[in-house]
Amino acid sequence: MTSVEIKNLDVELGTRKVLDNLSFNIGAGQIAALLGPSGCGKTTLLRAIAGLIQPSAGTIRFDKQLVSLSSLVLPAHKRKIGYVPQEGALFPHLNVAENIAFGVDRTLLTKEQIKQVVKQMLSLTNLTGLENRMPNQLSGGQQTRVALARALAVKPAIILLDEPFSALDAQLRGELRADVIKLLRNQNTTAILVTHDREEALVSADLVALMRQGKIIQQGTPEQVYTAPLSATTAISTGDALVLTAKKLTDGRTDYIFNPIKEAAQIAEVGEVVIRPEEIKISPDLSFGKVSGKITKIDYYGHDAMIVVKVNDQLLQVRIPGPLDYTVGQEVGIDHQGPLRFFATT
Amino acid sequence: MVSTTAALVVALSLIPLLYLLIRAAQKPVNESIALLVRVKTLEVVGTTALLVLMVVLLTGFFGLVIAAGLHFLELPAKPWLVIPAVLPLAIPSYVFTYTWIAFAPGFSGFFAAVLILFLTTLPYVTLASLAGFARVDASQIEVARSLGLTYPKTFFKVVLPQIKTHLSGGLLLAGLYTMSDFGAVSLLNVDTLTVTIQNMYRASYDRTAAAVISLVLIVLSALFVFADENIRRKQQAGVAIKTTTIKSALIKRSSYVATTSALIGVYAVLAIVIPVYVLLSRFFSNTVEISWQLLLQASFSTITVALLGALIALLLSIPLGILLTERSNRFSQFSSRLILIAHALPGVVVGLALVSFGSKLGPIYQSTFLLAFAYSLLFLAKSIASMSASLRAVPTGAKEVAATLGLNRWLVLKNVVTPIAFPGIALGAVLVFLTAMKELPATLMLRPTGFETLATQIWSYAAINRFNEAAPYALILILIAAIPTFILSRPDKSDRNKTNAELVG
Repeated sequence: MTSVEIKNLDVELGTRKVLDNLSFNIGAGQIAALLGPSGCGKTTLLRAIAGLIQPSAGTIRFDKQLVSLSSLVLPAHKRKIGYVPQEGALFPHLNVAENIAFGVDRTLLTKEQIKQVVKQMLSLTNLTGLENRMPNQLSGGQQTRVALARALAVKPAIILLDEPFSALDAQLRGELRADVIKLLRNQNTTAILVTHDREEALVSADLVALMRQGKIIQQGTPEQVYTAPLSATTAISTGDALVLTAKKLTDGRTDYIFNPIKEAAQIAEVGEVVIRPEEIKISPDLSFGKVSGKITKIDYYGHDAMIVVKVNDQLLQVRIPGPLDYTVGQEVGIDHQGPLRFFATT
Repeated sequence: MVSTTAALVVALSLIPLLYLLIRAAQKPVNESIALLVRVKTLEVVGTTALLVLMVVLLTGFFGLVIAAGLHFLELPAKPWLVIPAVLPLAIPSYVFTYTWIAFAPGFSGFFAAVLILFLTTLPYVTLASLAGFARVDASQIEVARSLGLTYPKTFFKVVLPQIKTHLSGGLLLAGLYTMSDFGAVSLLNVDTLTVTIQNMYRASYDRTAAAVISLVLIVLSALFVFADENIRRKQQAGVAIKTTTIKSALIKRSSYVATTSALIGVYAVLAIVIPVYVLLSRFFSNTVEISWQLLLQASFSTITVALLGALIALLLSIPLGILLTERSNRFSQFSSRLILIAHALPGVVVGLALVSFGSKLGPIYQSTFLLAFAYSLLFLAKSIASMSASLRAVPTGAKEVAATLGLNRWLVLKNVVTPIAFPGIALGAVLVFLTAMKELPATLMLRPTGFETLATQIWSYAAINRFNEAAPYALILILIAAIPTFILSRPDKSDRNKTNAELVG
């Protein structure tokens, strides 16, 4: 179990600053997810941690050991990292067993011991029986498992997973993700998962770091980043969110679509409120809530449905659990029943 | 229809081989055996084999090191460094030889031939290795590094096993070139199989004995082709995995950078600076009046006959290219193997066969067409490789979508396949043109009387040590050949380099 501490990290690729004064801590044995859109620097951060690129400033520590200090870096091959890139990057000229045994130190273990390690990894990743297959004879999911087994076989201090499930179909992705996370937790391995899938980040990690333009804009537990976003941007990063214009009044009340304040009042701040669709409730009873609207669209997903309600020319998304009792065109009463997150616009 | 035409092309390409077999069979068996096992023949075979071995080992090592440096290191002005590494492709071995003889009088013998053929063939291996490196997924290198491997270990355990086929392709070209070279070894007084065949043909017109010796050369060449094929077959199990190739960070280690830069620098001096310096100094110090008309005529003849050869090769490669792309059956595999064996035939052998064969064809004998046809047979494999690679690059989905949109087969070919495949096919034709322009032994045997190309003119002057007079022809040849060579290796088109290098390799 190893902790990771990153302080004021800068990485420049060519003339472009890809990571900008980035700081981030991961506790020993924790699984952290780096969540952000393409090009925000997630993979670059992962590669800097692995020692594959050289930061221009800042420090990276594994436990107490300084592995990167500006231009002084511990080379990748001395960091004891397990790296699982996109699509696994299996060595195509080696079979499954040889891929798994690839990084095992042959000077410390006998051939028999290496065989045992491979056997153990095959069993751990549900690949027993496939040891002699070549990578091009494996499915996408099996390739990812082999890549993970190869990374775990060296007993790494930290595992870095760079969108390992992105090439898989939705069902397989979910199953494999659950297996991998279970495996990492059982092994008590510190892991960093790069993803642009917000559900994947929330489901898998102990710690979620939201990245934008080379910086971490918020970090916390999945619940913290989902329920208490620091801005509308971070709210959208972690799930569906309605961003509605609002006014904070000097008496403490908030004037917004679900709480229209008709009488004259002094405005303290202008800004927006962020509401999750599941925090909005609707009812066929038009007296429910302070406003009413008309259903314009229903997307039914089985376990729940997303309903779009038009209120005063504004379209509001509402998530309701199944079964579905509403129809398009129906008038409904609507109310916001959740925390009020107000962010003043600057 | 395609299969029939392809079969016809295969039959045409086998004319030289069949003719030599028939011709050699005319010699009584005991005489043929006596010819083959005589001390002189064995010495010549030994010299040829040793020469090929040394050139292959040297090009293999240095080509790999230079290509690895060009691909993996952060070198100053990196995109442009590929030019000195590849440009010597424009200089034929006999020009290298004569410039070196002029530069260092007394330059002769076996090791001189090793040096010249090493300089000539190094770009084949460099380009083929570069193409191989470009196909290795950089993620695999990063994974290997993260698993504790140093750069050298990563290279040997991850990279090298994956580029075996590319390297083998480059070495095959270097080996076949060395085996079939006539100009350099002849000028340097090294008795190889090609020199012996040419001497037999010229001295006594004993075509039967020359045919028997040619068969030895063919067997040696075929061994090379089969060795390469064997490596490719073995490699097939470990390829074709779908990966996303990412750009890896370049290695900055100063010792690696210095070594690669020094190697490229030394190579540029030996293979470009010295030959060009000699040619320019000889050109400007020439006191004999240059016949500009002859020079112009030879340039025109060279371009015309090489263009015609490239065009014939292009036409002949269409049916086989289509067959290899669309149908993988026994016939297509068999045809592709036959073409490869035909490709291994040295110019001197094809020349010999077509001289004998052509003499029975009346007006075609001693015509520009027969010479161009010889070029097309010699370089058909290159043209087919580019044709099938370019056709394979056309996405099947695009053809199917076009068909569903109402286009018939002809329109799909015209509006979808041709626009996508044309650049690659054209570059293949350029490559055949470039190689044909420099061809010497077949040209010497098959050119019509009074028909001079730049190659034959250089040869005529250089063979009698009139280096000053050969210089303008050599300069023009290099200048013309440098243009397609530059196009084939343009550093600003790095993506295209992959394909081009594969064509070369």
